[in-house]
Amino acid sequence: MSAGSGSLPRYIGQRVLLVIPMILILVTLVFLLLRVAPGDPVTAAVGGKLDPQAIALRRHQLGLDQPLYVQYFEYLKNVVTFNFGHTISDNRPIIDVIRDNGGATLTLTLGAFIFALAIGIPLGLIAGRMRDTVPDVVIRIFGVVTYAAPIFWTGLLLVILVAPSGWPTYDIASPETKFLVHPITHVLLLDCILQGNIPATLDVLQHHLLPCLTLGLLLCGVFIRLVRVNLLQSLQGDYVEAARARGVPEKFVIRRHAFRNALVPVITVIGLQVALTMAGAVLTEKTFNWPGVGNQLVTYLDARDYNAVQGLVTFFAVVVIIVSVLVDIVNAMIDPRVRY
Amino acid sequence: MVATLAACGGGGSGGGATGSGSSFILGTTETVTAMDPAGSYDFGSWNMQYNIFQQLVNIPPGGTTPQGDAAKSCSYQDPKTLTCHLQPGLTFSNGDKLTSSDVKFSLERNIAINDPNGSAVLLGSITDSSNPDNPTLAAGAIETPDPTTVVFHLNRPDTTFIKVLTTATASIVDEQVFPADKLLPDNKVIGSGPYELSQYKAGEQAVLTANTKYQGAHKPKTDRIFVQYFNDPAPLKQAVASGQVDIAWRTLSPTDLNSLESDSNVNVIRGKGSEFRYWVFDLKTQVGKQLAIRQAVAQLIDRQAIAQKAYDGTVQPSYSIVPPGFAGQKDSFKTKYGSPSVAKAKALLDKAHIQTPITIKLGYTPTHYGPNAVDEANELARELNNSGLFKASVGDAEWEQYQTLYKQGAYDLFILGWYPDFLDADNYLTPFLRDGGFYANGYNNPKVNSLLDQELGSTDPQQREQIFGQIQDIVAQDVPLVPSWNGQNVAVAGKDMTGIAQTLDPTYIFRFWMIGKKG
Amino acid sequence: MLKTLLAPFRNTSGLARWILVAGLLITAVFLVFAIFAPWVAPYGFNQVSANGHPFPKMAPPSADHWLGTNDQFYDILSRVIWGARTEIVVVALSVALAVLVGVPLGLMSGFVGGWTDRTLVLLMDALYAFPSLLLAIVFAFLLQGPLGGGIVAAALALTAIYIPQYFRVVRSTTVSAREATYVEAARAIGARNGTIMGRYLFGNVIQSVPVIGTLNAADAISTLAALGFLGLGIQPTQAAEWGYDLSRALDDAAAGIWWTALWPGLAIVLLVTGLTLVGEGLNETVNPTLRKRRLRKVVMPTREPSTALARGEVEV
Repeated sequence: MSAGSGSLPRYIGQRVLLVIPMILILVTLVFLLLRVAPGDPVTAAVGGKLDPQAIALRRHQLGLDQPLYVQYFEYLKNVVTFNFGHTISDNRPIIDVIRDNGGATLTLTLGAFIFALAIGIPLGLIAGRMRDTVPDVVIRIFGVVTYAAPIFWTGLLLVILVAPSGWPTYDIASPETKFLVHPITHVLLLDCILQGNIPATLDVLQHHLLPCLTLGLLLCGVFIRLVRVNLLQSLQGDYVEAARARGVPEKFVIRRHAFRNALVPVITVIGLQVALTMAGAVLTEKTFNWPGVGNQLVTYLDARDYNAVQGLVTFFAVVVIIVSVLVDIVNAMIDPRVRY
Repeated sequence: MVATLAACGGGGSGGGATGSGSSFILGTTETVTAMDPAGSYDFGSWNMQYNIFQQLVNIPPGGTTPQGDAAKSCSYQDPKTLTCHLQPGLTFSNGDKLTSSDVKFSLERNIAINDPNGSAVLLGSITDSSNPDNPTLAAGAIETPDPTTVVFHLNRPDTTFIKVLTTATASIVDEQVFPADKLLPDNKVIGSGPYELSQYKAGEQAVLTANTKYQGAHKPKTDRIFVQYFNDPAPLKQAVASGQVDIAWRTLSPTDLNSLESDSNVNVIRGKGSEFRYWVFDLKTQVGKQLAIRQAVAQLIDRQAIAQKAYDGTVQPSYSIVPPGFAGQKDSFKTKYGSPSVAKAKALLDKAHIQTPITIKLGYTPTHYGPNAVDEANELARELNNSGLFKASVGDAEWEQYQTLYKQGAYDLFILGWYPDFLDADNYLTPFLRDGGFYANGYNNPKVNSLLDQELGSTDPQQREQIFGQIQDIVAQDVPLVPSWNGQNVAVAGKDMTGIAQTLDPTYIFRFWMIGKKG
Repeated sequence: MLKTLLAPFRNTSGLARWILVAGLLITAVFLVFAIFAPWVAPYGFNQVSANGHPFPKMAPPSADHWLGTNDQFYDILSRVIWGARTEIVVVALSVALAVLVGVPLGLMSGFVGGWTDRTLVLLMDALYAFPSLLLAIVFAFLLQGPLGGGIVAAALALTAIYIPQYFRVVRSTTVSAREATYVEAARAIGARNGTIMGRYLFGNVIQSVPVIGTLNAADAISTLAALGFLGLGIQPTQAAEWGYDLSRALDDAAAGIWWTALWPGLAIVLLVTGLTLVGEGLNETVNPTLRKRRLRKVVMPTREPSTALARGEVEV
């Protein structure tokens, strides 16, 4: 990584090439961890039901008694050909799981980011602007507490508050909406809009509110802190000093120069928050019975469904790594110092 | 995906049900492994299949004796021969005729596919497993002399086979639609039952619509049913309490049930269940192999306290290996041991010259049997310790590791649970008692084995019941396991739902066709 | 030594100092709970009766049980206090192990360079890129088997996810310090690699560890609670754990039984908040660009590349 210098295309090329071994390492790790862990899909499903011979037979049918390296290469073959195979526990093509459930995770995370930014940026700016005053401290503590509160706790509080009003508290849409709307893009919200179904769109949006807010609260602390710190830094920057020296009123200094500069890193951080968001999404999805990939992952982990877990973990890894590469590239474009 | 989605597009009211007719929403945590009967061995899948497919015979609500469904009647000529006559004029929901050939095809492919998630193992009496990797339907096991007659020739005397035919594994599928060698994708299944599957989104929801071709006795009361799947009981409870689902069926926690009990918007409806929880002795450990110690534990266990303290009274104390309601059941443990007594337990141990306190290791698994298993383990340990005769400690392991550990003798006494495959007392005896049972605890009593052979070979209900009684008494004497409790079949529903109480029986079949919504 | 310890206080002023003090106070209270749990807590963590009287189930707060009892008959106050011990032991164990593995590895990797460095960086980046909770879930699955649902298994599962963070920070500091004048000087006078690493680089590099350490500790508690929520954490018979108690209590809240979920939840929020405040306070002192200078324009420090912050190497 230390090698190479200068040109942007070359840097991008390097980053992209590095993605392959990184993904390979991750999938290998997950493969090994799952095999070393006790139990397998068969014992998880029917262990309390069948005698040892019947269990051995089922393991044999699934190829689970083959040597590890055989299973490993079989799996690699699947990954390389983008054919992740079928889940063991319910026989779904894994690519279908990602397609059918990925949309829900996508809109959940996007919604959460919208909330996080809408809450985090203004609060961060206020805190930075009013440094070391009571509002600053209150906002900072708010940021810390929302991050500190377990997501399932926050979610529960919101559900209890909202449930009496009849507002939907779980799932991505009402059963009727799911039944009526064709899957075109497999992103339910988009499908509703594409089909011009206004009631369905509203229904889906309503369902998004609580989960997105819950996850958004977790993330907003990061943005509060970031915007605040960056505002403080840019307020000390040379050009701000210069503007001040020119006699520009403080209000304009802050609005014209400092704010804008404080917001640039937010873009990069959005990308870097993807990993945290994914972890948060797993808990949010479970709390709200959200039909996303994270929820599926937990279910399949319980079932010791190797194929499914490997497939979904690979998916998560690819998403996170691709986003981080994109962030690095954007970074490199903005700030040439990054291209070491 | 599915043609019935035509009603889509602008203008439709997003909140209202499609078209005319009635509908309701059922929420459940029992997800579907496969809609294809050859690929499943679990509640969620089977329940959908009971509503989508017909079987030759079925169990009427609250009953235990099979009655005709697709068949007018099925009867044994002798313990190895069973003949069924189909109803005339049966069709699948796509218009294909249902004949004896479909019946044979359905069972044959189930055995041949032998899916790792499937239940072909239940069809052992018509399976040729000389090549264990590739089992087939035994030659001549199913005869179809004419389109409405099916004759089963069993490879061993098996009077429980007619009960196997009531299970979803024996569902009749359309041979024009289902492949013979692999599973059909979930959303393509075609059956002849009261409902057809209009939409299925794995892990999210299934939509059932009344099958217009269905002419049988189970006429649907509701045109369309939405089944929503939940990964966790907590959101399900919220959903039913706030009226977002009409019915919550399987599985809410005891705390949830008790809190919903006092909720004026919903009814908690309880029916008899057949779920069984029990403590198994490992007869290979120093503690487990001593009969007097096993008997002392059976003498000390306070089942009432376990049911109250660990499960808030949502379960029934169990005094036999066979649950109540089954022909031949008797409370042998109650007869033999009476109420919990430290004095009697002490006498048992003194008589065998066993020094007290006895160190005993209890085992449980934290999630597989629900979050309350730990409470039950703690309660039992407390009861044993409070007697002063035992020094009990409690160990745990995740389900996977647990299965290995209990077979390796890590625990003297460990908890397991059971749901029957079909409603026959034998299904609680053979799997547990023959040669140490499926959990291999080292119990072996030749007398029990021969009694099991006798009841399986008998078509006389009275004789079978009498044998069941004998076996239960032997179990209470030998104590290879200690029965703990029987579960209930519980649903929570809005006040406007009808017909639920009737379907909550030990079969755990949720008969959608019986359920209606007022107003 | 004392001077170093007090540096954060001297370098901060006004409310910023109070935040640090508040954080330290909260953390200290929980530390006291943790260390003196047997004396502070009225009952044992899995005690369900006292003097022959069994505890009531889900009893509201009373004189006998200040915070009430939960659905497992446990005294909630005792569970919260004993829980502090569990959390702190798990967190201390996991952070210590992560430091013990991550710091030397990062130091070596950054100093040696070459293929070792590239391979390690790749491995650690892969681990770091992965959502930490998912990694912890997978490790918890793996470890629960052989080790049971206990403290050690939970601590090890958390260790695995924090090693890459120390590795990254230490390595990048090492790489930049490697070319620093004082290292050049040491090399010129013939110091061996081991000496340079141990004596010169280590002291320089170790400064950033307390910041990450406290922030990791906060994160570890959240993750431990999440594992408990998913049923992969510590079993109630082994130790008191807030996440487990909270996950069991989630259902009660809707039924009007607020005390079972409130206290363990509050404990998590407070301790995580306390630790984060300490971490932030330390960060402000370690990171001079954030410090409020009393005399403006005396020095003009070069602006840190904003991306260093954004990369989460200091700020988490």
